[in-house]
Amino acid sequence: MTDALHQALRGVCDPETGRDLIAMGMIYEARLDGTSAHVTMTTTTRGCPLTEMLRLGVEAALLAIPGISAAEVSLTWDPPWTPDRMEPLSF
Amino acid sequence: MLGKSLSPWTLSWFGAAMIALLLSLLLALATGIGPENLDRPEALAIVHLFALGWLTQVMLGALVQFVPVLAARPLAFSRLALPALLCSCFGTVTLAGGFLSLDGYEIARPFFLLGPVALGLSFAMLAVMILSTLITRQTLRLPEVRMVIVALAGLAGLWLSGAAMVSTLTGSHLAVDISQALPLHMLFGIGGFLTFAACGVSYKLFAMFLLAPEAASWQRRAVFSLAALMAGLMLTGLVMLAGAGSLAPLLIGVCAISLVGCALYLDDVRRLWRARRRPVPELNMSWSRVALGFLALSVLLLPFAVWQGGALARASVFAALVGWLSTLTLAQMIRITAFLTWIQVFAPLIGRRKVPVVQSLTHPRRAGLALTIWSLSAGIGTLSLATGFHTGFRLALCGLLIAATQILCELGAIRCLSHLSPPERPARLPPLILPNFMKPPHSGETQI
Repeated sequence: MTDALHQALRGVCDPETGRDLIAMGMIYEARLDGTSAHVTMTTTTRGCPLTEMLRLGVEAALLAIPGISAAEVSLTWDPPWTPDRMEPLSF
Repeated sequence: MLGKSLSPWTLSWFGAAMIALLLSLLLALATGIGPENLDRPEALAIVHLFALGWLTQVMLGALVQFVPVLAARPLAFSRLALPALLCSCFGTVTLAGGFLSLDGYEIARPFFLLGPVALGLSFAMLAVMILSTLITRQTLRLPEVRMVIVALAGLAGLWLSGAAMVSTLTGSHLAVDISQALPLHMLFGIGGFLTFAACGVSYKLFAMFLLAPEAASWQRRAVFSLAALMAGLMLTGLVMLAGAGSLAPLLIGVCAISLVGCALYLDDVRRLWRARRRPVPELNMSWSRVALGFLALSVLLLPFAVWQGGALARASVFAALVGWLSTLTLAQMIRITAFLTWIQVFAPLIGRRKVPVVQSLTHPRRAGLALTIWSLSAGIGTLSLATGFHTGFRLALCGLLIAATQILCELGAIRCLSHLSPPERPARLPPLILPNFMKPPHSGETQI
């Protein structure tokens, strides 16, 4: 199930770079609690116009996992995102 | 609401600005203006159509869009965006038309006075929106936010000096020495407003596009301090206009500050560039480097412009308006239009299905060709003005018009999603420049 959670998050991409949110280092925490998924994420900058859309997108991706009945996605900018959080892949 | 921090009128500002750009270039070609007759009334009308209608409007539209990103909060008084745009368009057209009254067209004289009134209203509404959004305890410590606030002081100086000159030219009792007011007016417009605003916004935008660390550097703080000092000097000059003192010492001070400030700003951008995590910069950033080269050129010419005036002053102004500010704006406008279009069409689909990346909405080679023509023409135009070469200047205008038309076509293609494969396109396209008041093309979900 945890694999499914990570796979779902890998399916949500940052539209600016085309990289998934885990590769971008934007997922701070992802865990399962029974049939509920909990994710804490950030955006590359606090005023990003995509903030709410990304949050809802992650929520939708989590709810699409078979067996998940509830998803809670919260945003944080503490610590703030920096490029050092990105996975070292070329794109 | 999704996209609550986005202003729905940004593309309308961009659309109005692009119309003004094309119109000013067409009129410049049609009226036969060249390096020797840039002080003719019709040339002054065209210059204002370019500087106000194109550059100022596109910058104001971009600020309305970008200030919420800087402040990380929704735009305050966002309902003022449309009336501000309408007043700005009306004011630009009436002011530009009003210049024709200097050529004996008496019918245009009332418009000459109406222009500054409408523009003043527009600028006041924008200042209310921008300052109410930007000024918080958290944001005021950011140098880029302070730069934008200083830029608004520059906009106020631009308007005051311009209104004083219009008052003088229309024979009103409020008169100033035009030979002193004109260099100050140009410095307020090019440096005090447009360049300060571009610098403030670029710190954040460049870091975002390059995936570089955003942390403020000592250079950034120094650039802000110098910008504030320069704005202070220019506002002092505005007060001195009312008296009879010479502005020459003050202009020398502004030159010195510009040279140091520009060097520090370029060094800061170089630092961002080197720290970037995006190995291959996108088109908008590659062409921003060319724009920065023109910034350096125009600032290097500035001391000669102030000292000698004439041809070198015209070349410096052209390099700044066309080479620096317009190249930067055109390059970023392509990217921002693609981003806003992506949000309108694809943002509701994040996490629900595979969506294209923002860059796939653009055609980098076509846009790159247009920006190449633009930049080459800007260079030829600058050189022609410095040497008084009429034919070269006319050729440069032709090149600029071709490039601007190509970029307008590219912006239209981005809005129509023409560069995407048919299966990726939605059944219904968003409106070209007006806000999307209908449901989004892909689903019945919330829209911006």
